[in-house]
Formats: sequence, C-alpha cells, structure tokens
Amino acid sequence: MVLILALPPVGLSGQQAQSASSATSRYQAPVISDTGDLKGPRQPIFFRHDIHAGQDQIPCMYCHYSASIASEPGIPSLQTCIGCHQLIGGSTPSHQAEIKKVRDAWRERKPPEWIRIHALPGFVRFPHMRHIKRLGTESCVTCHGEVKTMAQVSQVSTLKMGWCVRCHVENKVSRDCSVCHY
Amino acid sequence: MTEPINRRRFLKVLGVTGAGTAAVSACGIGPEPTERLIPYLIQPEDQIPGIATYYATTCRECAAGCGVRVRVREGRAVKLEGNPDSPINRGRLCSRGQAAIQGLYNPDRVQHPMVRNATGGGSLEAIDWDGAIQRLSAKVAEARGTGIVFLTGAEASSFGDLVDEWMRQVGGRRLSYEAFGFDALRAGNRMAFGTASLPTYDFANAKYLLSFGADFLDTWLSPVEFQNGFSRAHAFDGGRSASMAKFVYVGPRLSLTGMNADEWIGVRPGSEGALALAMAQVVVSRRLARVPADASRLSAVLSAHTPRAVAEEIGIEQDVIVRLATEFARSGGGLAVSGGIATQYANGAEIVAAVNILNYVVGSVGTLVKFGADLAAGSTNSFADIAALTSDMAAGKVGLLFVHGTNPAHSLPGAFQQALGKVGYKVSFSSFMDDTTAACDMILPDHHPLEQWADSRPRAGVTAFQQPVVQPVFDTKQTGDVVLRLAGRSGTFQDYLQAKHRTGRGAGFDQFWMDTLAKGGTYGDAPTRAVRLSTDLAAAVPPLQQERGSGGEDKQDVVVFPHPVLHDGRGANKPWLQELPDPVSKIAWHSWVEVHPDTAARWGLATGDFLVLTSDFGSQKFPTWITPSVRPDTLAVPTGQGHTAYGRYAQDRSANAFELLDRKANAYGGRTFAVSATATKTGEHRKIVTTEGSPRERGRGTVEVLGVARAKALHAGDHPFHHEETPEYAAEAVAWWAERQHEKAELGDYRGEQPRWGLAIDLSKCTGCSACVTACYAENNIATVGEDLMQRGREMSWLRLERYWLTDEHGEPQGAVNSPMLCQQCGNAPCEPVCPVYAAYHTPDGLNGQVYNRCVGTRYCSNNCPYKVRYFNWYNYAEREGAYEAWPEPLSMLLNPDVTVREKGVMEKCTFCVQRIRGAQNQARLEDRNVRDGDIVTACQQTCPSDAIVFGDLNDRRSLVYQLAGNPRGYHVLAGLNTKPAITYLARVVAQDTPSHG
Repeated sequence: MVLILALPPVGLSGQQAQSASSATSRYQAPVISDTGDLKGPRQPIFFRHDIHAGQDQIPCMYCHYSASIASEPGIPSLQTCIGCHQLIGGSTPSHQAEIKKVRDAWRERKPPEWIRIHALPGFVRFPHMRHIKRLGTESCVTCHGEVKTMAQVSQVSTLKMGWCVRCHVENKVSRDCSVCHY
Repeated sequence: MTEPINRRRFLKVLGVTGAGTAAVSACGIGPEPTERLIPYLIQPEDQIPGIATYYATTCRECAAGCGVRVRVREGRAVKLEGNPDSPINRGRLCSRGQAAIQGLYNPDRVQHPMVRNATGGGSLEAIDWDGAIQRLSAKVAEARGTGIVFLTGAEASSFGDLVDEWMRQVGGRRLSYEAFGFDALRAGNRMAFGTASLPTYDFANAKYLLSFGADFLDTWLSPVEFQNGFSRAHAFDGGRSASMAKFVYVGPRLSLTGMNADEWIGVRPGSEGALALAMAQVVVSRRLARVPADASRLSAVLSAHTPRAVAEEIGIEQDVIVRLATEFARSGGGLAVSGGIATQYANGAEIVAAVNILNYVVGSVGTLVKFGADLAAGSTNSFADIAALTSDMAAGKVGLLFVHGTNPAHSLPGAFQQALGKVGYKVSFSSFMDDTTAACDMILPDHHPLEQWADSRPRAGVTAFQQPVVQPVFDTKQTGDVVLRLAGRSGTFQDYLQAKHRTGRGAGFDQFWMDTLAKGGTYGDAPTRAVRLSTDLAAAVPPLQQERGSGGEDKQDVVVFPHPVLHDGRGANKPWLQELPDPVSKIAWHSWVEVHPDTAARWGLATGDFLVLTSDFGSQKFPTWITPSVRPDTLAVPTGQGHTAYGRYAQDRSANAFELLDRKANAYGGRTFAVSATATKTGEHRKIVTTEGSPRERGRGTVEVLGVARAKALHAGDHPFHHEETPEYAAEAVAWWAERQHEKAELGDYRGEQPRWGLAIDLSKCTGCSACVTACYAENNIATVGEDLMQRGREMSWLRLERYWLTDEHGEPQGAVNSPMLCQQCGNAPCEPVCPVYAAYHTPDGLNGQVYNRCVGTRYCSNNCPYKVRYFNWYNYAEREGAYEAWPEPLSMLLNPDVTVREKGVMEKCTFCVQRIRGAQNQARLEDRNVRDGDIVTACQQTCPSDAIVFGDLNDRRSLVYQLAGNPRGYHVLAGLNTKPAITYLARVVAQDTPSHG
C-alpha cells in the first residue's frame, strides 16, 4: 500500500522570518525581483499585502470592513482600490505596472479574478464577526497568519476541524457540532 | 483497555483501513486553489456580504395583493416573507406566495425575445429587443382597424391604465381575464343590493361562520387575510367570548376550507341558495334577529322557501335547517359567505343573492360584510366578454392580439386555442412558454414581478408597490417599457409610475416615494358604503328545480374546483407547488377524481383506477381517489394540471379538467364549473402519489380533540392528556435516563444554563393550508424529488401536514384535524443512541442535531424514529444534469447560503431552523445581550397565516412558548414512548360536544 503524506512546512517562509525583528520600528516591505520563489498562488494582480497592511499600516478592516459585522469578510470592490490609486501611481516601475493593471481594470469595468486561498467546505459556517468581537480587530493573524508580511498571500493554517476545535477548547468556548455545522 | 466491539467501534476500525488510500490524494492543506473570487466593481450601498437585505414589494401570484419582503443575499433573492406593514396579509404568506421565487429563477423562462420565423417551418427564433419592437410597431400600424385586443390578468394598476391609454390611442381595447372570475358574486350582489362590486368580509369579528362553497382559506378572494381572520374567530383561546365561532360548510365536497368546518352540510349541488333562503325564512318568521324594516319586501320570496318546502330539494332534514338558522341568528354575529363551487353553477348568481339576503336579515351587511372596498379581484371582465372575444377571434375579427399575465389557452382549452389560429398576429408578454405563449407569433418576455416596477390597487384605500429586488435574470424587458415605446412616448415605465403618484404631492414627493417603497405601499381604510335591499327581488329567487344537464340516468354531477396550490394551473411550473401534497387529498404531481366509497363500491373501483369523464364538451382521464369527503352522487376533479406547454414541471402531466367545461357563458355571464358527465372505467391503474399514511389515527393519540364544553371547563393546571406520559412500565427507564442526563450535564458545553428550544402548535388554529411546508422548503434548501421518487415515498418534506377526518356518530366526516408533523426534538430521542457516528446527537440547547458531514447514511436513526420525520438523500439532488436534479440553473440561485446543501447518502431533518437560531445568537452577542423571546422566528412560524406555531425557549418562564406548553390543552404526540418531545400540541377544539375521530 502506498501511504505518502506530504505535509508542507507551515509558516516558515523567508519573508515571515524577517518580520520578527521589526515589531517596534516601521516595517519595510522588501524589494522583490523574483516572484517565482513566493509561496501561494500567483494572483492576476501582484497585490502586496506586505506593502498595504505592513509598510503602510492600513488596518485589515479598511478593505475587509464587513468582517467585524458579518459572517463574510468580503473582498474589497475595485472602487476601494481606485479610491487611493487614482492618486497613488507607484514609486518603482514594477509597482507602476501593477497599479496600471488596477486602473485598466477600472477603466474597462472588468474586476480582477482573484484566486481564492482560504476556503471552508460548504457544510461549515464561520462567522467572522463573532471571532473579531471576541479577539479584536487585530486577531486576523490567528488564522490567516502574518499577512502583513506576505508579499503574496498563502494559507498558513490547515483550517481543518481539529485545528478549529483546539482553539475552541483552549478558549473554553462552545464545541458543540451545531455551532458550525448546519 | 480493551473495548468490546460495538457498532461504533466497528465502524471506526473500518474507517481507518479505508483511509489509507484516500490520504494519497488528500495530501497538502486546503482545497485546490482553483476557486475564483470576483469582487464588485462598485459595491452596492445596501449589500454587505453575509448580511441579508430585505426589500418590500408585492406578491402577484393572485389578485389579493399581499405585501412581501424579499430576503436578498449577495444580490440573489433567497426567500419571500410576508410584509407585516401590509394590512392585507399582516406579514404572512401562503404556499403560492412563498413559491413566487421559483418563478423568478425558473429554468424554463423565456430568456430573450423571440419571433416566429415566417419561412423556416414556423419555428420560434431569437431576436433582439430593438428589432422586435420595430417589427411590432409596424404590425400595430398595419393592424389598425382590424381589431386590436390586449388581454391581461386581473390588472387594477398603473400598468393597466397605461395599456388602456395605448389601446385608446391605437383604436383597440383591453380585456382582463381570470380563469376563476367572480362573475357570480358581482351578479348576485347586483341582484340583492344593486351594486356589482365586491365587499370585504370581516372574519375576525364573526361569531358564527357559514360558507356556501366559498373556499376562503385556499383560493377565494384573499386567502391569507381571511385565514388570519378566520383563525382569530374560530380558534379556541381559553373561553374568550369572541372565540370559537362555529363554522359550518355547505357544499358537495370538503375542500381545504370545508375540512376546517365543525359541521359539513353536503347539500345537493346547486341547492345552496334554497338552503340560504330557507334559513332566512326561519330567521324572519320566528323573529330570531332584529330584522331590518325593509326586509318585509322579502316576504314573497321567503314564503316560497319554508324548510318544509325545500328540505327535499336540498337533501337535508327540516330540523337541521331550523337548527342552523337558529344558531346563525342567535350568535349575534353570523357571517355567511358564498363562492367557489356554489357560485359556479348555472344558478350561481341567485345563490349569491340568497346568501346576501341571509346576511341582510341578521344585520351582518354593513358590519361584517362591508361594501366599498371594491376588491380588484372583481375588476376583471366577465366570462361572457371573454366568450365574445373568442367568437370574435374565431370569426377573424381580431387582427392583433396581445396576451399578458394570463394563460387562456389552458383554461379555455378547445375554443380559445382554435380561435387563436384565426388571429392575424399574436404577441405574448409571458416570461414562460405557457400554453398560450407557445401558440404566439412573437414573445416579448416581461420581467418577473420581483424584477419590476409596478403598483396595484388590490382594494380601495390600498396601493401596493413593486420594486425590482434583483437584477433581471434574463434578457427580459418590462412590458410597461415596451408599451411606452410602442406608443411613441418617452421615458421608462418607472418614470410613468412616478409621474402618476407625483400628482398633488409637490416637493414632498421624494420623501413619499422612499417611505412608500420601504413600507411596500400606501395603506388606508376603505370607505364603507351602505347598501339597501334592491327593490326588484323577484329575480333573486333561485329556481327550486336545478337543471340537470342533458343526460339521463348514467350521468354524474361533476364539479371542477380550483386546486388549492396550483390554482388555475399557474403554479404548475413550480416544483415546490407540484411536490406539495394537496391539503385534502395529500396527492402531489397529478390530478385525481374524488369518488365516494359507496359509489366506488358500486362501480368496483379502487383508488388509482382510471376513470374517463366525458361531458358534452370534452373528455379527460383521471385516477380515482376514494374519499368520504365528497357526496355519493358527485364526482370532483381539480384544475391545475394537463398543460400542453409551460416547462418541464408542468407539461404533459396528468389531465386538464377545464376540457370538461362548457365554453359558453351562462345566464349571468359567468362560467359554469359543474357539468354532468359519464364516468367510464378504463381498466388502467396507477399508483397515486400521496403522502397519506392513514386517513385515521386509530386512537394513537397523534391528534387530540376536545368538545367545546369540555375545553371551556378546563382550568390552569388541568392536564387531561398527561395521563399518557411516562406510563408505569417506563418508570425504570426514565430513572436511568435522568441519571444519564445528570452525567451528561457535567460535560463541557452541557454544563450550566442552556435554552431548551421548543415549539407550541395550536391545532385549533392550524387549517392545514401547508404554507409552512413551502416555507420550510424555501428556507432549508429541501430538494424536490419528482413524481417517480415521491411515489416511492422518498419525498424530503421535513414538515408535513397530517390530515385525520373528524367523524360524526354515523362515521360521516364532519371536517378534519390537521397536524403539522416535524421533528419533535425529543429530550430522550430514539434516533440519537443508534447513530454509530454521532451524526445524530443532542445539542446543549436541546435540539436533536444532525451533522450532515458526519452522517454515513446507515439510516438507523430513521428506522428508530417513531414520528417518521427523518428524510434520506437517495440521490445527489444537487448534481448538475443529474437524473433527479432539484435545482437546475438558475433555480439554484434561490438556495439559502446559510444552510448546507445535503449530498447523496445523508440523512436530514428539521432542526428548528438552527441557522436562524445561530443567526439570532450571533446578532445578540454582537449587541452584547442575550437572545430575547421573539428574536428567533422559524420559517414555518413566520409564514403561518393563522399563527398556529410559536417558537421559543422552554426554559424561559416569561416566554410565550413556555406559557403555551403549560396550557391545559397541551399534549405530546406518542407521549407514552417517553420521548419527551419539545413540541407541545394544543388539542383541537370542535363545536360538537362528543367529537369522535379515527
């Protein structure tokens, strides 16, 4: 019988290691010349969470505003992007090229098709607002990892049930099946 | 530690061995990253992902004009609920209203304009909107002078006004047609009171109800409103003086309305008027009520109708007539209504006039029967007008015909269909390929009512608005816009509508418009118009001898009645309505003919044997349903089925009962729905599709019935049914169970205070209308399985209505008790301990949880459930293009995103809308509070027109459900099994003192 369990290493990529030392000083997003090494799927636009959320310190809730009030965090509309990028054109040619994609998409009224990274099976309900209410608006890292330092977002948690339940047990909150499964 | 191999352990071991092979493909984390997330370009202001938005609009499934609120999630309409602001339906909805959304996302909608190809064999082909309108403009110019007719449904609205304006402009005329019109009511009101309008009826304040065939709970005028009023008058509410109005139903068969009666008078068809006059005669001659002075005019009419003179004609005893008259008059609030089948005989108008006289002599006209509302349902053209149109068409006098919102080729099968062929050019605005549309030359599909701007005037004082709640699903166009363009006028129909309502409002208009859209309409009281008895009453005397067709001995009286959910057939393309068992017969997906057991025995018929009914006008074949709820000398068939087109759910299904009917109008200009016909056995047989297990409950305590005297004598703390709970032999088991509960309570989530969710269902209020069933399908993504699987008992209906006949001392049915049967959320549930994988388990808040992703489909739980309320997915009903696909595109757009769509091999059942419980809990926590009583409303409770269902926390002593659970009438179904259900049923109370059932 073939029994190969390929478990990829979790949460130890180069960019995340860098972030450990910059807890107090302002985070500087690295210059990335070769995107081939980055973890996670390549997106239609090289949107850098590490620049937006890390270097520029835009709160997660600025774009994913519904996470604190609804079960779904939502993907920001293109209008949200253009709100800033009408004026901000980027400082380097590579940034300018990516921002141009955003502006083109806006002009052509054709939103980008992002590749979904975090997904739960259809029989699981995850109310984002309950978790943020309890753990605070900075608690996204608990499940999504240090997105602030990710040039390209990848999944760091398994998002499997055992992983959910471990946290529920530690925090002494309900682990009744019908809280999530209905 | 060695564990004995029990069932659970065995499956665990099995699971580990099997997992090895699966692990190879399941390596890595997360799903394959192929899903795409497409953001909004500009996010709509009122759309937040994960949060539902509600829009107020109006239901257009019938002319009643109920207000609805549409729940929209991420741009999709997922559920309709009644609008509490509307004075008509007060937040409730019927099955047909609930299912309107299946029209919006119907897979068989006409998706774009089409035109019949003149050359290529006359097939329909796609055309663009501009091209179609240009072509049609030319046709209109061409047809001027050759007869232009615009046929609509009941359309008392701005759209109707616009069409009228346009028809005047092009020299045409508009007619409106409903298959079940109210011609007899208008004619009868004119006879008795000199006004051809329709009044409103105040059921809520009546103290005695008498219906002459009027099916006011299922199809008559405004069923949701009337049911709400009826339950307030007829339900038992602890001896309040206004409650427990006795309800007597007069008619040849028990309809949904009839089976809620306390007494059934099965008179000979057509003799209802004689009964009403005989009752009036008793009231006047014995001075049982304060008779209005001008009633003296009636003396000639009434003296011909003494009980002695007419008893034989009616087919009931004289003293019954006297008793009914006495009860009716002495109640001090008698309301008699006539409609349905009683008004569809050739003497229907006279019957209405007779019932009007009965109301008049007891003083109910002006108090309970209020003229002045002028219901829009009565605004349609008479059947005589439609028959005249048909002749005009057949004679080639109609050059151009437009059809909108009605399907005459189905309800007038022979005549209209043939006449259609003689019309120069036929244009349909239907968004469905119905029987009429299929014969048209051009199809310009209208938006669904949920995609439209519109208004309607269901009654004086009320204007109900419609606003688009979703983007159009297909390339359809609002007919109002098309008409404006054809008329050469600028602007859209929305502008037209606003302009109409802007008049006289000046600067305040914008605020008015926003407020009105938010509320769903403008709601005012209708003015009450006093009416007096007409001076010429001789015409109101119903002929004593009812004409009996042309046939001889071998002919049967056949009545054709509107199907309670499919109505005139318009509901037939909606799978929820097809799969919803008819509330009386419990038959789904096909028509039937009702035959009395005595007649069936005489003819040697069994249920399911086909009978061919042949009238002078047509012949159709129906399977027999043997039932005591129809007179022995009468056969009854429902309309609704037998479409020649109208999509995959409706087409070629069963037989069209309209085929049997006369195409000519009768004396008062209406249509006669009773015919005489021969019935012939064909020797064929089919298994009927029914959910009925047994018509009787055989003393098992499934339903409990109390006589009114006994019910009134009950005091708080009485428990007339509780002797059945926990019999002695179960005491030991109960003690053991209590100990287990104690142990359990020490574990994790089960510790501490928890709610215990429960339901109270008042059988005195439940009418069996089944609105809750459709609401449950809509809320919980329940699959429709289709005719074949339903025939094999594989329907998924989490909530079903069980109907048990109530019988008198002779065993004759006098009505029925209806009991909604759903998961009882037992405290000591038989399903839980037998589940090998803990998919069926007890939640801390007292539900019998069902974890779909754990379920492996052993079906042990279903075998062990004494209530039979667990349903198994035999197929993958969500599979694209699958053999039993329940949601073909775009029907899947109405799926509730808060509820898992179950897969093949999974058991499912009611969990008290656990998604609504969790939603309310989430919301309460966000607001730093606890869930309050009334925060959680289950889908069945929300829609119930008679308020029979109440949900809440049984551990909260201030909750309504706690109070109801302690009601002396309360009982638990099969309580002797010691299942400790969370549902308390409140016994049905009937007017007889010694009721018997089963």
